[in-house]
Amino acid sequence: MSDNIKKLLLEFICRNFMVDEEEVPLDKSLVDAGIIDSIGLIEISNFMEKEFNIKIEEEDLTRDNFGSVEKMVSFIKRRIES
Amino acid sequence: MSRSYERCTKCILSAAFPRIEFDENGVCNFCRETILYTNESDSIIKAGKQIEMLIESSKGKSEYDAVMCYSGGKDSTYTLMLAVKKYGLRVLSFTFDNGYISPTAFENIRRVTNHLGVDQFTFSPSPENMNAIIKASALNPIYNARTLTRISSVCNSCISIVNMTALKISMEKKIPFILAGFTLGQIPLNGIIYKNNYEFLRESREIPLNKLREKAGRFVDSYLTLPDSLINGSDAYPHTLNLLCLEELTEQEIIEAVSEMGWRAPGDVDGCSSNCMLNSFSNMVHQKALGYNPYELELSHLIRKGLMTREEALVKIADQPVEQQARVMNELGITEHDIAHLDQLYRKI
Repeated sequence: MSDNIKKLLLEFICRNFMVDEEEVPLDKSLVDAGIIDSIGLIEISNFMEKEFNIKIEEEDLTRDNFGSVEKMVSFIKRRIES
Repeated sequence: MSRSYERCTKCILSAAFPRIEFDENGVCNFCRETILYTNESDSIIKAGKQIEMLIESSKGKSEYDAVMCYSGGKDSTYTLMLAVKKYGLRVLSFTFDNGYISPTAFENIRRVTNHLGVDQFTFSPSPENMNAIIKASALNPIYNARTLTRISSVCNSCISIVNMTALKISMEKKIPFILAGFTLGQIPLNGIIYKNNYEFLRESREIPLNKLREKAGRFVDSYLTLPDSLINGSDAYPHTLNLLCLEELTEQEIIEAVSEMGWRAPGDVDGCSSNCMLNSFSNMVHQKALGYNPYELELSHLIRKGLMTREEALVKIADQPVEQQARVMNELGITEHDIAHLDQLYRKI
């Protein structure tokens, strides 16, 4: 399941933020990498809600959950399974 | 794919726009694939319903229902009218004065807020501080490449101060909504409604804020951060609503509606602004640094939606009065030499 989540997330990031997949670090913050800004974070959380049919609350918006692609994938997986 | 076109033949995105590719007819990939800001009417309808429900549950519980970021331009004037007349909100109107607001825009603010019976106040940072922020934003790559596809660096600094000030006001007064006058194209579809989360915002803005601190001074914190007392004393953050995104209107329809409240078009701004005399300078700097006008994305979106013709958009971005740019450069102490090699500096972002 994680591979599929990662694939969909990376596709969205590449398409929406105009980067190639090899430019997206998997273990670093997309903000720190200069790929997204504050509006970008909102876009990603909205994409996750829609694509994976999960609910994201204000308190979920932390570096622990959104600090990298890998952290986002884990967060989505946890939320789907809960 | 051909890259010989200077500009898309359908919208106005130019060859310098990031990731652009033209087909054999000169149509760009953004027009063909609607990569950005797609017209998802179901998402707009959903956002509209969500906004109505939120307003219904929060209205009348505070001194004001909403803080309106009111620039005096036509879009925020229309948004203020929507808030008061269509949604029945009790609005506190707030204007950020960067020192370059057209006198006509201030007259518009007075006339419209009087007409709508709305309380209004203006926040004016000291010219010394504000000019330092503007100068640092113009001459340095502060923001990331993605941000700069939809807004100039100088505009983004001003808007960041507007957003942070509105957040402070709403938290101090426990006002549930912040209203902004953005349209789709200026913001993505998901930005019609969102809940502010300061930690979220702070983390995402840390890198540009550090660059601004370095180039302008530590004083920028007073405009671009929240005090701890406010963060610790708050149990809820407001929602930001972009009500104008829910409407499908041409520029002419907006102008006609706001004119009925006494709004007049300023004669001392460029073709892309209806309130700010700094805009032409900001656009010129963006063009020099990145090779395209910062309004291309927004205007191209309007063209694709059928709300503006390509010719009208081209006229707008061509209307950049050089005398205004010269006046601003003189005020800021910026020379031609300072901006001559911005493209080399921005290659690093």
